[in-house]
Amino acid sequence: MKEGNNKDYQVSGGLGLISSRLLVEGPIQKDKSSFMISGRRTYADLFAKLSSDMKDVKLYFYDLNAKANWAINSKNKLYFSGYFGKDVFSVSSLFGSDWGNATATLRWNSLLSSKLFSNTSFIYSNYDFNVGFKTDASEMNFNSHIKDLNLKQDFTWYANARNTLRIGFNVIQHTVTPTKAEGTDIVNNKRSRKGLENAVYVSNSWKASDVINIDYGLRFSFYNVLGGNTYNIYKNNQLIDSIKLANGKFGKNYYNLEPRISASYSLNNTAAIKIGYARNTQNLHLMSNSTGGSPTDAWIGNSYNIKPEVADQFSIGFSKNLHNNAFELNTETYYKTMQHQIDYRDGADINTVPDIESELLFGKGRAYGIEILLRKKKGNLTGWVGYTLSKTERQINGINKGQWYNAKQDRTHDLSIVGIYTLSPRWTLSGTFIYTTGNAVTFPTGKYVLNNMVIYQYGTRNADRMPATHRLDISATYERPARKNWQSSWSFGLYNVYGRRNPFAITFKENKDNPQKIDAVQTSLFQWVPSITYNFKF
Amino acid sequence: MKNIVSIIFIALLLTACEKTIDLKYKDNLSRIIIEGNITNEAGPYYVKITKSIKLTETGTYPTIDDAVVTISDDAGNSETLSTLGNGTYRTNLLTGVEGRTYTLTVQAENQTYTAQSTMPQHVPFDSIRIETDIITGETEYSVIPVYTDPFAKGNNYRFVLWINNKLINQHFVQNDEVRNGAANSVRLEINDDDIEFKQGDSISLQMQCIDKNVALYYRTLALISDSGPGGGATPNNPPNNISNGALGIFSAYTVEQKSKSLP
Repeated sequence: MKEGNNKDYQVSGGLGLISSRLLVEGPIQKDKSSFMISGRRTYADLFAKLSSDMKDVKLYFYDLNAKANWAINSKNKLYFSGYFGKDVFSVSSLFGSDWGNATATLRWNSLLSSKLFSNTSFIYSNYDFNVGFKTDASEMNFNSHIKDLNLKQDFTWYANARNTLRIGFNVIQHTVTPTKAEGTDIVNNKRSRKGLENAVYVSNSWKASDVINIDYGLRFSFYNVLGGNTYNIYKNNQLIDSIKLANGKFGKNYYNLEPRISASYSLNNTAAIKIGYARNTQNLHLMSNSTGGSPTDAWIGNSYNIKPEVADQFSIGFSKNLHNNAFELNTETYYKTMQHQIDYRDGADINTVPDIESELLFGKGRAYGIEILLRKKKGNLTGWVGYTLSKTERQINGINKGQWYNAKQDRTHDLSIVGIYTLSPRWTLSGTFIYTTGNAVTFPTGKYVLNNMVIYQYGTRNADRMPATHRLDISATYERPARKNWQSSWSFGLYNVYGRRNPFAITFKENKDNPQKIDAVQTSLFQWVPSITYNFKF
Repeated sequence: MKNIVSIIFIALLLTACEKTIDLKYKDNLSRIIIEGNITNEAGPYYVKITKSIKLTETGTYPTIDDAVVTISDDAGNSETLSTLGNGTYRTNLLTGVEGRTYTLTVQAENQTYTAQSTMPQHVPFDSIRIETDIITGETEYSVIPVYTDPFAKGNNYRFVLWINNKLINQHFVQNDEVRNGAANSVRLEINDDDIEFKQGDSISLQMQCIDKNVALYYRTLALISDSGPGGGATPNNPPNNISNGALGIFSAYTVEQKSKSLP
């Protein structure tokens, strides 16, 4: 995001039907330091309150952004940025949920010599999620959060005209609280877990010749499971040992070497090919259930059972500028193998089990695909067409009889088309079209009757698909003639022009008139959303 | 992420909609379904053998009428059930006794299937308690089965609900993992999206004391159909107590039933 203006004060903002925003920026000391503060607030609940059923409803989203920078002297600069955002949705005191996200970054940039730069950053971030229900009979609270403290040190050394070296380290302390349920109906006392993610790295960008660039590097990452919790060890989903790790103690450690190399070769002035290999490890893991119902993704860190996910990716790409740089074409194909993949076992209890790790299975994964991006950069009409064809699969003993199956996020087609057309100096029109294959999920395939109740029969894991999501959005912006320092514009937009009912969740129900018949019922979110915003700047 | 979430809720409130859609289903493998029940009430008891059909079919379920079905217990009793047709088999002599373990054997289509279930000790079902809340102008009812869990750990309960004599196709299971030995105050997690409770409705509730495996079966079914926050289970055929890949459940349980009108 942009830095504050260090010469003049400036205010800009937008007033809209369901949301507004405001930004103020300016110098603290002229030419030396600047600040920027911005905020947004939606107020959909003002409309909700018009209906008498909804008068106890709270529904809003707001966020605040603040930035400041300060030039200490000609060689040292300090940057600060902060973000705070919150969603609130509640129905009187009976149901409430909120999402909060806060980050703060302090970065010190220093020129140690004309060729050596140092960047030191402290980053704090916190992501929170809460849902609560209350009735006379019971009370339930679900809560989950991820808190990170991150220290980064990076040196960049412009050694000579052909070599740029980077060396540095990174220490992150993760505190992950899995979805924790508390209440009269369930008590699952899932306590937060801590882990230390560390890395040291060195890399070089080497201009081998006028037409060949080679980037290579090595990163050594190590992860420590930290104490303050009990870690269970499972074998075939049976508890075999329990380790009580005291606060401040180091538990299981994982070490990984991550080499990477990529080379690009310029075929001529307008075309280049690039090949690369990289190994990456991932220490926080996303767990997704495979139903077509409401999404219930959750994060979990490494433990005694959960190892860092390791991915090796091979890629080859080609890029070319066409028609005197009016067009730019980029393509890339990749193949990725993955170790230590995680999924829920069949019939896993995701909600109430005391330790979610007892419900997990581990295996390997693979992904491959091709990406094509064509961009038009000149003329009245600009924009791009991007398309990805890909496959992501897993193979885990105990799921789908050990056969490869689709990962939930497997997305066969992913297409986006963006066009911006400058009609006149005042009017700009734009349109966006997207199409993505639905998530791979597990639908029932059959049914039977047991004790007079219809029960569904299931086949292969993630063999089914949610319907595809596609949508066209258009907007028009009118720039008003500037008056003194006051610049303003009107934006008119329509989201989902042709009213596609995109799937959010699919559930199966007996037909009301004919209980013999099972209906697949799709919940869709908004069909059309019009918007009008007045933007200003002075 | 958070923007998306807020947009989702705005959308849910203002413009969310539901519609029935046509899906392309994968082929279904027709499997044998075994349903067997033994209770502490006087016999006869029944075993039903059918086959599953495709989700989209609306016809009848095929039955298996030429199976050989036997039930024995750990007190030395054993009998072969009589065939009644329509997939149904009936006991003639057997009695259901608390604490006994029953073994079901089914020979059908050149395969043998066996299952075991132990009838737990009966826990008295005292009454049904109804609680009401007013939520956005509508009365919401909570149904609480009142019983006192015995001191010994490991009790599992299943509830079957009828509203105005209509069986509700939902699975309710409780256990004593958290509140062993306590009087129950936990309501049934009824999904009332499609049920309209009204004042004066008659509620019938059957309480079954079931064994661990049967509880796991019904608990998994309940979890799979639960689409609440953070909730649910990986969709799958629930683990059952029948060997050789048959679906269904064999349950030896105690039973007690109560009725009440909604206040």
